[in-house]
Amino acid sequence: MAVHFRSFRSRLVVVFLGLFALIQATGYFAVTAFVRASARHTVDDELRLASTLFARQLDVRTQQLVAATRLLSGDFALKTAVATADHATTASVLENHRQRVDADVLMLAALDGHVVADTQRPAHHGVPFPAPRLLAEAEAGRDASDVVAIGSNLYRLAVVPLLAPEPIAWLAAGFAIDDRAAADLRRLSGLHVSFVARRDGDVVVHASTLGAADRRTLASGLLALGAAGLLELDGGEHLVRIEPVGRDVVVVLQRPLAEALAPYDRMLLILLAVAAAGVLLALLGAALVARRVSRPVLTLARGARRVAAGDFDVAVKVPQRDELGELARTFNEMVGGLRERERVRDELERTAKLKRFFSPQLADALSAGDESLLASHRRQITVVFCDLRGFTAFAEAADPEEVMRLLHEYHATIGPLVFANEGTLERFTGDGLMVFFNDPVPCPDPAARAVRMAVAMRDAVATLLAEWRRRGHALGFGTGIAMGDATIGRIGFEGRFDYAAIGTVTNLSARLCQEARDGQILVSEPVHAEVESLVEAKNVGPLPLRGFARPIVVFDVLGLRPQPTEPP
Amino acid sequence: MRRALATILGAVTLTLLIPCLTPAQTDRGRLDVLVKDERGKPVADAVVSLTPPGAIAGPPRPGAVMDQQGKEFVPLVLPVAVGTPVTFPNRDNIRHHVYSFSPAKRFELPLYIGTPAAPVVFDTPGSVVLGCNIHDWMLGYVYVLATPYFVKTAEDGKGRIGELAPGTYEARVWHPRLRAETEKTATPVTIAAGEPGQVSFVVALKPDRRPIRRPNYEGVQGN
Repeated sequence: MAVHFRSFRSRLVVVFLGLFALIQATGYFAVTAFVRASARHTVDDELRLASTLFARQLDVRTQQLVAATRLLSGDFALKTAVATADHATTASVLENHRQRVDADVLMLAALDGHVVADTQRPAHHGVPFPAPRLLAEAEAGRDASDVVAIGSNLYRLAVVPLLAPEPIAWLAAGFAIDDRAAADLRRLSGLHVSFVARRDGDVVVHASTLGAADRRTLASGLLALGAAGLLELDGGEHLVRIEPVGRDVVVVLQRPLAEALAPYDRMLLILLAVAAAGVLLALLGAALVARRVSRPVLTLARGARRVAAGDFDVAVKVPQRDELGELARTFNEMVGGLRERERVRDELERTAKLKRFFSPQLADALSAGDESLLASHRRQITVVFCDLRGFTAFAEAADPEEVMRLLHEYHATIGPLVFANEGTLERFTGDGLMVFFNDPVPCPDPAARAVRMAVAMRDAVATLLAEWRRRGHALGFGTGIAMGDATIGRIGFEGRFDYAAIGTVTNLSARLCQEARDGQILVSEPVHAEVESLVEAKNVGPLPLRGFARPIVVFDVLGLRPQPTEPP
Repeated sequence: MRRALATILGAVTLTLLIPCLTPAQTDRGRLDVLVKDERGKPVADAVVSLTPPGAIAGPPRPGAVMDQQGKEFVPLVLPVAVGTPVTFPNRDNIRHHVYSFSPAKRFELPLYIGTPAAPVVFDTPGSVVLGCNIHDWMLGYVYVLATPYFVKTAEDGKGRIGELAPGTYEARVWHPRLRAETEKTATPVTIAAGEPGQVSFVVALKPDRRPIRRPNYEGVQGN
């Protein structure tokens, strides 16, 4: 049989409870069986004792009767009356003597076995003596006594010879074993007493403390019983003991089993109550334990579900210090790990996204979460514009593939130089680009960096220009650098933003680049002032520039001065 | 009837010899008797009687004595001819109460000591069982016979009846414990002068059921 439990809780409760209940039930039934057996043993012992005592009591009384009868048999007057066959006198003497010894019956039998006198039936003589076997026993010289039925009554009879001096008759004395005797015994022992004659399958209950109906039941039940057993009577089961008191007669002692079990009933009831309480407590205990397990587990399950749904902001609270607490703790650690990984992934993703459009520094700064950088602000920056001379004409005339190839080489050459100098590549201008320094990441020497970058670019591009010339393209490279305040921030719209610098400095730098001929790096005066020690420059201005009211002082950077090596 | 009763088997051997050897012999005969039980053991205290044909003369009988000594009847069996007076001397130092309810002689000698003045005359044939009222074990028998010819067997089961006139007699045996049915059976016996006749009987006896005389209470004199 497979029973499916929907919850661990119910399974635990059922299993635990089931086992406990099983143990309790086993214990209870074992105790009950033991108690019942024990009670039965006790009653058996009681009955055995009572029956032994009663049989002994009967023997003692019989001995007394025999002794008394022997004394009676020595009475000379009786001998004389009997020897002279004076029946009337004999009967009278018998009655007198019966009262002397307090016997219930006294009989005289002739040697041929017929009754001569009987105190119970004075007119009766000539009938056979009711217990001829006893006469034979007496004749053989043995003690002759037995329980004998005379009519419907039982008597314990003892027979002794009447010697004058040889046996001339048999004297039989007896006491009755009747309902009164049974009642006496019941009073003494508390048991039900019956006297039953059993012979040749015929059972007769002669005297008893039982009622008529029970006597009949007893009679029919006795056929089956041996020395002891159980009998079902009105009022329940009775334990019965049968003890012989004569050759064909037994005394039956019995006690209701329920009566014997009564003292134990209380105990068994208490035991049952304890067992039930135990089971109840077990139920409670099991339920509590189950809850302590299933609740944290469910909490963990809920947490796991949320994590699976993508919410890594989960911390399972399980305050237990046991294995489940351990599980919760490690679960939290795991989710924390996942959270971290997710965050890093997000960051990298964002950085990657940003890096496509921003310089690495800007991208890093932005993905680090500092979105404030993108907000508009004003700063002094150094702006560098550079582009290719004669590119337009070239682009018109050459193949598109050639143009793209050239541009690719060009960008691949100058792009890395921007990063190398940590400049912010603001935009590509087709054949050139715009870079500024000191934003978003401030640096101490923006002008120097700008100039260094420009010189490096010029040198690198010069190689390219030579190559292109060989291919037949006449191009040049010029750069313009200016320094000044600008408004910098995010411009654009949702889906496409740029980081731009707006200001005079931008225009100036652009104009300077336009003015620059192939190989020239034109810088404004503030720039030159910054980098004077670093570069060799020639003043080529003041130049009038479109958009500016007054002509601008401009310098052309020829090259870098050799720098003294760092002292070791 | 004889068979059914299984009593006297009648192994009678008669040796009729006519002796002319001893001049001392008169014309009287005698009978040697032997009584045994069914197992062949000799039976003592059996009375064998011979009833002669014809009438029996009735001379005055000498008296007989049934003693009481040591609280016992002595002898156990006293065969007497009918009409014999019997005295019952009490030789003990305590009294006895002798009685008998036997139909042949019903009498009583209430507690007495010494010898009663008048003897008891037993004038009816038959057995008379004697008892003492105060001593249950005391038992004695007076066997009264119609014929004067009788003998009581000794320990060896033998006895002799002498001074018998030759002729044919009826021999009978009696014993206190004889089974009653056999008492009356008679065996014819012929007595010849000079030569002793012999007769033996095998008797069936009832077991001895006398009350046991228990020993005295130790240290106490008398009883």
